Parts: sequence; C-alpha cells; structure tokens
Amino acid sequence: MALRSVTRRIGSKFLPMFSSANLLHSHATSFGFKEVPEEEKSRLVGNVFSNVASNYDLMNDLMSGGLHRLWKDRLVSELNPFPGMKHLDVAGGTGDVAFRILDSISDVKRRAMQDVREDDLQEQTKIYVCDINPHMLNVGKKRAVEKGLGEEGSLIWVEGDAEALSFQDNSMDGYTIAFGIRNVTHIEKVLDEAYRVLRRGGRFLCLELSHVEAPVFKELYDYYSFSIIPAVGELVAGDRESYQYLVESIRRFPSQEKFASMIVDAGFQKVEYENLVGGVVAIHSGLKL
Amino acid sequence: MYRTAAKRLIVGVTSGINGIHRLRLPPPSTFLDHSSFSTATNSQEFPNSQIPNQHHIRQETPTSSDSASSSSSSWSTSTSGEETRSHENRRPRVEYQEEQARVLQAALSHVVKLGWTEAAMIAGARDIGMSPSIVGSFARKEAELVEFFMDDCLQRLIDLTEAGEGLKNLILRERIYKLVRARLEMQAPFISKWAQALSIQAQPANLATSFKQRAMLVDEIWHAAGGDASDIDWYVNRTILGGIYSATEIYMLTDSSPDFQDTWTFLDNRLKDAFDIKKTVQEAKYLAEAVGAGMGNSLQGFVGKLFQR
Repeated sequence: MALRSVTRRIGSKFLPMFSSANLLHSHATSFGFKEVPEEEKSRLVGNVFSNVASNYDLMNDLMSGGLHRLWKDRLVSELNPFPGMKHLDVAGGTGDVAFRILDSISDVKRRAMQDVREDDLQEQTKIYVCDINPHMLNVGKKRAVEKGLGEEGSLIWVEGDAEALSFQDNSMDGYTIAFGIRNVTHIEKVLDEAYRVLRRGGRFLCLELSHVEAPVFKELYDYYSFSIIPAVGELVAGDRESYQYLVESIRRFPSQEKFASMIVDAGFQKVEYENLVGGVVAIHSGLKL
Repeated sequence: MYRTAAKRLIVGVTSGINGIHRLRLPPPSTFLDHSSFSTATNSQEFPNSQIPNQHHIRQETPTSSDSASSSSSSWSTSTSGEETRSHENRRPRVEYQEEQARVLQAALSHVVKLGWTEAAMIAGARDIGMSPSIVGSFARKEAELVEFFMDDCLQRLIDLTEAGEGLKNLILRERIYKLVRARLEMQAPFISKWAQALSIQAQPANLATSFKQRAMLVDEIWHAAGGDASDIDWYVNRTILGGIYSATEIYMLTDSSPDFQDTWTFLDNRLKDAFDIKKTVQEAKYLAEAVGAGMGNSLQGFVGKLFQR
C-alpha cells in the first residue's frame, strides 16, 4: 500500500519550506517553467484550457492510457459519497468527477434500501460543478445531456474562481478538485476557500499529477512527459504549447509532502495522501472539524 | 490503567499473531486510529509516562466541544501533544479521533436497525450534526465501528471490575462466570446483528485487530478474576478461557430463552468442566471446537449477509 499518512507533525517539520512556497507566489508566479506576473497566469491558463477544451477527453485518454478514469474512480471511492450530499467539484468542468459521484450515490441508494429516509435524501443531493472556464463547463453540460442527465436537478453548473468561491461558509459536505489545483495562481487561497465552504466533518480531496521518485521509472516518466506528450498534443490537438505547459506545470507543483503540509496549514485534520502509479498522481485528503 | 498497559505489552509478545508492529500500545481505543498514525507515533515510549502528560496537554487545549472531551479523555493518542504544539497559534481545534469516536458512539444507536454498516455510521454522523462525509475518513468503515464497540465494552468491563462489585467473596470460577456474563450481556442488545459483527471481525483485513481485542478481553477477565499465576499455567488458562468465552458467545447467538438463561447455564457448565477436569486434552478440544464454531459461524454470517442483499 502506497498510502502514507501525514500527521500534523509535518506542519512544524516543513515550516521552513513554507518560505520558499511563499516566494513562488509572491510577485512572479510560475507558468510551466516560465516566470510570469501573477495577473498573467490565470489568463494564460485560461487560454490553455480554452484551446484544449474540445479535445480534452481524447487527450486525457491518450496521455494517461485511459488510467485517468481509474484515478477518478479511486478519488470518488475515497470520497465515499452518500445520498443527500452537498458536494462541490472545483475545476471539474467536463463533469467527469461529478458524474461518478452521482453514479456512486444512486448505487449506494440501491444498496441501502432498508433505510427509508434515504429516499427523501436522494432528492436533496446537490453536486455543484465549478469551473473558471466556460468552455470546459460547456463540454460538461453537453456530456450531461448525452448521458441523459440533462434534466438531472442534482447537477448544478457554476462558473467561478476557486480562489474566491461564491458559496456560503459551512455549506458543503465534500470538496474535490481533480487536476485543477496545479493551474491556480495561489494554492493557499484555494485551500482556505475549500476549508471555508466545508461543513464540520466535510472532506477535502484533491487528485493531482504529482512527483515520481522511483529512480528508473522517473527517467522513463520524464522522457515520456517531455518528449512524447507535447508531440502527441501537437499531432492530435494541434497545440504543442498547451501540453508543454501541462508537463512543466506538473514539475512546478509542490511535492506530495509539501502539498500535504499546505493542506494542514489551511486547517484540515487527518491529512493523508496516497500515491497512484508510483506518484504520477496523488490523492490528498483532509478532514474539516 | 497501568496494569492493562503492562499486560498489553505481554499480549503483544505472547499472542504472536500481531506482535510485530503492535508491541507498544496506547490505551485501548486507539485502534480506531489510522494504523500509520499509531505506528508513527507510538514508537517513542511506553504509555506509563504518557498518561499524566496527556491530561496536561488536554487542559491547555482550548476546547470547543466539552461533550467530546468529557466522554473521551483517554481517546487521543500521543499525536495530540504534537498536533497541539505545531498549531497552538491557530484556531482552537478538536482532535479528529475524538470526533470520530463521537460519530461511532452515535452510530451504535442505529446498529440494531441498520446493522454494522456505513448507513448506521452516516445516520450517527447526522445525529451529532456532523457532515456524514466524515464516514469517508474511516479507513475500514464498519470494521472500525465494531472495534469501537469492542473497546467500549472492554473499558466498561474494566470500570466494572475496578468498582469491584460483589466479586470479593466468590471463588475463582464464580468470579470468571460473573465477568464473562457481564461482558456478554453488554452485547445482548445487539444480538440480532452480532453475527454480522463477528463476520466483519473475521474478514482478513480485520483479523489482526479482532484477535488482539479478544486476547486483551480474556486477559482482563482473567486478571480481574484474580488469577495471578505467571507460570506456564497462565497461558493455558487464558487459552481455555478464550475458548469458553468464544463458545458462549456463539451459543448466545442462537439462544432464544428469556434473558439468555440457557447461555448462562452453558457458560457455567463449561467453566465447571474446565475447573473439574483439568485435562489438557479436554481443554484443547474445547478450544478447537470454539475456534471451529467461531469460524463457521462467522462464515455463515458473512454468507447470510451476501444473500440478504
């Protein structure tokens, strides 16, 4: 089991490193390996996603060999959705995670038939999909219609910024962000917002491309990221720069341990992370109390 | 408390099943913790010196929920000290172990209706005004609910023996009888769902904890009854007692007599047998029977659960 827990101890252990994290986000911020002014990053990221929106799913499948589906399944099973849940999926424009949560809840409902109360609760389930990019949201809405969920009242599509959510304090049972937090300008602000909107007992879960440490695998993975992905991006989506940005931004994202300590610092408890495929992706989780 | 802690060390060594990373154990309820937490933090020192320490820290911590801390002053492990330290400049916080314990406690009242399930835990979380999302933070879900109940019962049994009601004037056999009966009566309200609990305990992922909890229970009973021998007999006695306990527990599942009268008769007879015969062969047979019955019944419960769906 690659599951590793990070106690709050890390908070103190990694305090010195926070200074470097802050530097990263002071005046200039990273856009891939480039340093850009803070104001620029969100515009540049916005461009990237507007460019790739139409081919987003195809490219995800190609780049991860279809594994991203399993990763998202894993994320949702970690979340353990339940009927009546109020959930916020940030940066989930294409609805991948939201659809899975909805499926999982109706499945739970079938299993827990003996509890009559659950039927009413099912109606109260609300899954908010929040994305800063309207192009990505449109992809998701279209897919919802294709899946026959167009009329589904549980799905609510919201255009919004993860750093300044439009939701009330203590209003959510769950918060997920899959492959999104890497692209924001201030990770700390996003975490603070997540903490704010969650109820007591609510959980924060983050699925993100992360850092591979295993020696030989790391070389292979680097070669794959820097040589193959941009080429495939150019070939399939006709956009080399966007995918160059993607692989560079993964390298600039804090390591598993450091990101975990940032989550702790936002106030979450029981912060843990789990590496999948040797750290190609990691699922971080935290509990608000 | 010191006594149980000291014995727990011995349990770890002697049981051999789970002695590897559980050698040094904090107070009972810490099985609820995530395993990596307990392995990471328990390696420092033996609980003896932690207990007063912990109280000290607890008083410093600004409590936002008095109910939680009052009901579970011994729940938190040594992590609490460190957590408090690194975050003393932040907002007052409740340790998640305490909140999880509160959820489990509340969930117990739903067990009779919903069984030892996630549904009961979700209902429990709702009862105490906590987001049911917290259920997702239990790594082994319903198994942790069963283990919580086992720990809770053990704690109650210890409290009972420390109060020492009516045990003094009895002979050893009667003391054991009283203690086993007191412990089994605690699970009487859940008897309709107890087979399910046993099947959960028998699942491979939960076996290590189940064995340890049972070893601790038998240990506590044996000690409270006043069996002080520390020679080889000590192991033999404990093993037999474990066998009798499990056999009675299984017997109780199908006992429909009022107030489980048949069960108590069965228990009394088994204890008499053990004390009268004192033949190792016989004792080994009991154990084998009990273990066989235990496994079979757990399996039966598990299969039953499968078909119930």
